[in-house]
Amino acid sequence: MMFERLIPHCPVLAVMTLFLGAFLTAIFGRSKAARRILLMLASLLSSFFMALLVKPVFFDGQIISYWMGNWAPRAGYAIGIGFEVDGLSLFFALLVSLTVLLSNLYSLRYIERDDCGDYYCTLALMLGGSVLSLVQTGDIFTMFVMIEIMTFACVALTAFRKRSEGALEAAFKYLIVGCIGSSLVLTGVILLYAQCHTLNMAQLSALLAGNLTPATVFAFALLLTGFGVKSYAVPFHFVAADAYMAAPSSVSMLFSGMVNKAGVYGVIRLCYIIMQSMRLPALQTLLVTLGTLSMFVGVTMALRQHDFKRLLAFHSISQIGYVLTALGLCTALGIAGGLYHAMNHTLFKGLLFLCAGAVWYAAGTTDLDRMGGLSKRMPQTCAIFLIAAFSISGLPPFNGFVSKWIIYQATFEKAAEGGGFGYIVVTVVALVTSVMTLASFIKVAQSVFFGQERPELAHVREVPLSMRIPMWILAVLCVVTGVAPGLVLTYVVAPATYAVTNVTGYINTMMGAGYAESVMTVPAQSIPVDASFAGYYSPVSWLILFAVLLLAFALVALLGKGSRGAVCQDDTGCDDKYAVFFGGERVTRSTVAGSDLFWGFRYNFRHYFRWMGNVHSGVVNDYAAWAVGAGAVIILYLYALL
Amino acid sequence: MILTNYISSILLMTLGLYVLCFQRNLVKMVVGLGILDYGVNLLIVSIGYRAGGTAPLFVEGEIQPGMHFVDPVPQALTLTSIVIGACVTAMALAIVVQLHRKYHTLDTGEIRRLRG
Repeated sequence: MMFERLIPHCPVLAVMTLFLGAFLTAIFGRSKAARRILLMLASLLSSFFMALLVKPVFFDGQIISYWMGNWAPRAGYAIGIGFEVDGLSLFFALLVSLTVLLSNLYSLRYIERDDCGDYYCTLALMLGGSVLSLVQTGDIFTMFVMIEIMTFACVALTAFRKRSEGALEAAFKYLIVGCIGSSLVLTGVILLYAQCHTLNMAQLSALLAGNLTPATVFAFALLLTGFGVKSYAVPFHFVAADAYMAAPSSVSMLFSGMVNKAGVYGVIRLCYIIMQSMRLPALQTLLVTLGTLSMFVGVTMALRQHDFKRLLAFHSISQIGYVLTALGLCTALGIAGGLYHAMNHTLFKGLLFLCAGAVWYAAGTTDLDRMGGLSKRMPQTCAIFLIAAFSISGLPPFNGFVSKWIIYQATFEKAAEGGGFGYIVVTVVALVTSVMTLASFIKVAQSVFFGQERPELAHVREVPLSMRIPMWILAVLCVVTGVAPGLVLTYVVAPATYAVTNVTGYINTMMGAGYAESVMTVPAQSIPVDASFAGYYSPVSWLILFAVLLLAFALVALLGKGSRGAVCQDDTGCDDKYAVFFGGERVTRSTVAGSDLFWGFRYNFRHYFRWMGNVHSGVVNDYAAWAVGAGAVIILYLYALL
Repeated sequence: MILTNYISSILLMTLGLYVLCFQRNLVKMVVGLGILDYGVNLLIVSIGYRAGGTAPLFVEGEIQPGMHFVDPVPQALTLTSIVIGACVTAMALAIVVQLHRKYHTLDTGEIRRLRG
């Protein structure tokens, strides 16, 4: 096979292609054709290099290691910078490659009306390259540098449409909180270096096993806070909502598809492999608490939003909460569920952001209260949106259901095995969150695609083909990963899950065989693999049920055709028949707008919602104080309990 | 005395975080980011210090038994960190200029159109 000799170089080549593309677009990007060709060429080549790694890593179970300049370890000390790709790294790297490729394809037409398209291409490729490198590197300082490049590219891309409302403001807030996070990561890295005199993650992992001194616990807490900031779990989530809303949609897809996954990857790498302390119940409680808070706060904040993209941003926070909760359980089922959900989140949330972008491109707004009836004008976008919305809400034949089901089982298993009453609460919160997610997407579907058509939106047309292709690809992937969970679990999620548990293999591949056994004072942590709770789920019967329900729904909708489609031009007449949707008050127009649905629910919990609104104050000092305060709490908590 | 280095780096970092949390002027916040960076840089250099060590630059035969040099790796890391810090400051100031043009204020309490 001609690619055999290429395989060890693939991780570096994939990263270098993206960075080289970024520099070339900076030089030659003035002409539109040149930058389009460069953008697609770089993303395609990089994805090709990543795809070559699938067979050796996922199917053959190898771990690929690569030393820059061939500076292999001498006398048991790693002196060079290495790349190490195990199943976990490749899992996240493939998500990154897919996101970069589809987002760039989408942006070809999406940003054509903006000026400075060449800067966009440079920054997007830079962002892709940095995250791809972050998830594959075996050197913890390289990880920090890549986090910084990622933050710069994110800030610049957030401010890209600087004339639009809030873009600059969001960029500044993102910069401040992001820099606090990366400073904490750097401090943690340097404290670990002071203890172990190495920056290589495999060697750190071998030296730190069972070695929780005050200095390493402090470093651990700082690193955990830093990666928490990057994954936008709840006390750090404020800037994420602003940035996802203000950035162009193709960039929001990059943010939610891979930038917060980079934070999640950092948390996994740190807790499971470098520190190997996930067996400690205190750490499990910490991660599960952060995750549960993210789930609940994210989804309740989403319910009160009026902007399509800001609503999606809060859902993104909520879904990351699921991932962190599942990973915090430290069981094989939990890790598998968390990774599966991380993949699904990349697919459906990317798709939803692309739908929001398509609506913006066609209708010129993302305000839920100023849209309606777009399903007739944009039928394909509407169909794609429904697939994504069903996926994120966890409806059975789609992928969100599979991963959420595994997560419910994992939390329940933890509760049943004596994890205590807390894990029952977590299971219930996860279920309630799923229901509220569905509620808020009913609201979006009603106010954007269904309901009465707005007279001012009559000119709206379907978006161009090059924007629909990435949307359809993601939609098909959403269905495939939902209908064939067995295949996905066996060939994609299982190798990644195995990599999380295979600490010894990770160390020995990098540092030479036998290194882990000779250095580690305690054996590598083992994670219980118990399949008895992994319930059986037959996607085919759910698919049939879904088709039957869809048919019945279509039949009912067609029978009632005569009563649809009336456009209210003024405020006379048709108020009272919508009274059930409102609080009964008179409104000037009778369209059931986004903020009218679930009015009673929001009224009953108005004190909670008002309090939450005040917490999201928009003052960047408050956001910085939340991040620093949460960091302080994490440090004190870990000192008290580890 | 290397202990003073550690204490002052921690003080600098705390001061930087304090400025970020409680100063409501955008330019002062950028200064706070700088102070935070300098604190971290001081910590990195101090960690590489060895009492009585020479600079890690030598030619063959120059090293005598009993000689030792300071750890060069943290110095390389500091260099990277300083460059990154300069980029952060430049970028933050560029955004502050644009924000002032748009909002006509530098008070964080008034730059809060995205909230809730």
